Amino acid sequence: MSMRPMIVVDTVVKRYGSFTAVDGVSLDVRPGEIHGFLGPNGAGKTTTLRMIAGLLKPTSGRIEVNGHDLVKDAEAAKASLGFIPDRPFIYEKLTAGEFLRFHGGLYGIDGDGIQSRVQEMLDLFELRRWENELVESFSHGMKQRLVMSAAFLHRPPAVAVDEPMVGLDPRGARLIKDVFRRMAGHGVGILMSTHTLEVAQELCHRISIINRGQIIAQGTVDDVRKMAGGEDEHLTPVFLKLTGGSGLQEIDEVV
Amino acid sequence: MTTPFPYLLLPHLWSSRNRAQRRERGDLTRAVVFGAIALGVCGAIFGGSYWLTRELIEYAEFGDYLLRLGLSWLFLSFLAFLAFSSVVTSLSTFFLADDLRVLMAAPVSPRRLFHARFARTMGQASWMVVVFLTPVLIGIGAARCASPLYYVTAVLTLVPFSTIPVAFGTAATLVLVNVLPARRARDIMMLAGLAFAAAIVLVLRFIRPEQLLRVESLPDVTDFFATLQSPVTPLLPSFWAGESLFAGLQGGLDWMHAGALWTTALAATLVVAAASERWHFAGYSRSQEAPKSRFKQFRLLDRLVHLAPMSTVRRQLLLKDLKIFLRDISQILQLLPLLALVLLYLYNFRVLDLDRIPYMTEFVTNVYAFVNLGMAGFVMATVAVRFVFPAVSAEGGAFWLIRTSPISMRDFLWSKFWTGLCPVLLLTEMLTIAANELLGIDPFLKVVTAGAIVFMSFALVGLATGLGARYPRFGADPNQAAGSYGGVAFMILAVLFVIVTIVLIGWPTSIYLVRRFRGQPIRTFDEVRIIVFFGAAMILSVVTWLVSMRSGVRALQKMSD
Repeated sequence: MSMRPMIVVDTVVKRYGSFTAVDGVSLDVRPGEIHGFLGPNGAGKTTTLRMIAGLLKPTSGRIEVNGHDLVKDAEAAKASLGFIPDRPFIYEKLTAGEFLRFHGGLYGIDGDGIQSRVQEMLDLFELRRWENELVESFSHGMKQRLVMSAAFLHRPPAVAVDEPMVGLDPRGARLIKDVFRRMAGHGVGILMSTHTLEVAQELCHRISIINRGQIIAQGTVDDVRKMAGGEDEHLTPVFLKLTGGSGLQEIDEVV
Repeated sequence: MTTPFPYLLLPHLWSSRNRAQRRERGDLTRAVVFGAIALGVCGAIFGGSYWLTRELIEYAEFGDYLLRLGLSWLFLSFLAFLAFSSVVTSLSTFFLADDLRVLMAAPVSPRRLFHARFARTMGQASWMVVVFLTPVLIGIGAARCASPLYYVTAVLTLVPFSTIPVAFGTAATLVLVNVLPARRARDIMMLAGLAFAAAIVLVLRFIRPEQLLRVESLPDVTDFFATLQSPVTPLLPSFWAGESLFAGLQGGLDWMHAGALWTTALAATLVVAAASERWHFAGYSRSQEAPKSRFKQFRLLDRLVHLAPMSTVRRQLLLKDLKIFLRDISQILQLLPLLALVLLYLYNFRVLDLDRIPYMTEFVTNVYAFVNLGMAGFVMATVAVRFVFPAVSAEGGAFWLIRTSPISMRDFLWSKFWTGLCPVLLLTEMLTIAANELLGIDPFLKVVTAGAIVFMSFALVGLATGLGARYPRFGADPNQAAGSYGGVAFMILAVLFVIVTIVLIGWPTSIYLVRRFRGQPIRTFDEVRIIVFFGAAMILSVVTWLVSMRSGVRALQKMSD
């Protein structure tokens, strides 16, 4: 397996006027790796992921997906990426099957191949019996699984996913974790932003912690634990130490 | 990844097909009502166009001249409308539409994306013009017994004629989104809306259409049409379209103007395609940026509402509704076309040349007071369906907050009623008083119509609030809510209410006025009739108001069952 990174983010900056949302972020995701992207609310995770997906233009810096530069070769880079946004848009008046077939067409999958692939993805994400139902009748968790089906439909070598576990029941969450593990086992590089530190600890080979637009820690979970002093077994206290305290004292004062 | 651009339009076609297959409650009623209205309007336009063209045939060459000018003027109006409409539409299709999040993340080439979005903008911006122009052009063709060539020319004229302003509108949006600070996109709509409203009023002011009423001498009419011509006119696509069509009407082909239309349309599309390829992503990226949107705190409003004698719950509900409305520019924007109509309406009263019929002046003036009342009623219904009816639906995903709070549904709905009543009453009352002043109507009628507006406002705002609570569309935008089953039902009931009210007030009043103008004595019976009919109108208003509100409150209470 080639070890060329599937996703490369090189000193990327994103400014909104005088406010810098992402400040020189660099990271890479290797084939078969699940890379956790952690950080408090408003740290710059979603902005970074949206730049990787080609939805936002970086102020400076370089992004590559599967070796394709996102500026110079945008179409090839996007064809190599599966993107799962935190607030996905799905055409409410399409059925699950129609949405997936349309999505496949966007990525150049059509003809005989598309129907069998759509069935595979619906089976994988346990949506087969909803294939001919309108998306508007889906629960949040079902919509989330449908978006994931779409993201994996074209067999992307790289995946960027923003908060995948939000709104999923335990069964759905376990399903997603299994899918991510299996995809990574097949060499797919996954960059996953999450607030669920247990998920990061359980799934991720490496993590990057971003705070106020800057990467403040990067490496395996053990590496990051050492950076924070090394005494804590769980990731939560490590995360809180690195990102600026637990706020417990303030809670006591307020209560 | 190389499928042709129409592939990107498929979700909209599939969605429409699915929507048609899975009918919702009231869809059939809505289709029948809107279909009948549309057919009626198209028939009237066709009839008007046919009649006018037949009349012009009587004037031989001068009639031809007037027809050419008329066509040119018609196309000029549509050119302005299309340019405005395409700026607003392209802002949505190219930069703000939700599905762009799917398409922009997919490997879709900028050129393909442009073609798909441009086609969508064309469709959305120009369908109204095409629907309106079709019966006009068929009417002209039928009146002049035109050959099939005329109809072919009409199609070949309309396509490039619609393309040119859409291309310019798209280019203007592209430039504005790239130049103005991020998240100011909606401000552009505001700007465009204001400009459009102002343009309508100014154009009508300058061309003085009331001169047409003075048909005693032909030179006046020619003067009127002459004012429509200017040195710039022949350089506009509207002129080319008019000339091209007129040639088709006479069985010929005007290659020069048709060529000018097509070459301009193609060149404009190519230029805007190239510009879009270069700058669309930068503009789209900017339109996604929302670090801090500008908004007003409305501290004065806070203070004023706190001075009002009302419960804390009602005060907070009122404040929330007002602030949300005032901070949403798109809501305010929708008032602009209405404002333009109101200004035109008042302007028409000002220039009404009633001295032409001196022996009837006084009577006609007073009849106009009722026309005025009817107009105010329809303005009231339009404002209510757009702003009051969606008030409950507008709570959307946040309605849980109301339902889980210690607020009775009665308090909640009555708060919505009072919030809606004040602006509607103020607007229509001002409109009626101003129009009646301009007309100089009888003081008795001034009082009657001003009083009627108060009762009608209570009834129509109550009806809109109540039906809005009975048929809420949580999550839908206000436009969708207004066009829903409940919205259509409201409009039908509101129109019926206005008609019945005007009959109840107008009939006894007109008998009273005729007697007075003729110098006949006013009998006790006439006075009793006025009192009875006015009383009936008042009771109708109060019953409509209270029954609607009660029904709305019950519907909200049933939601929890």
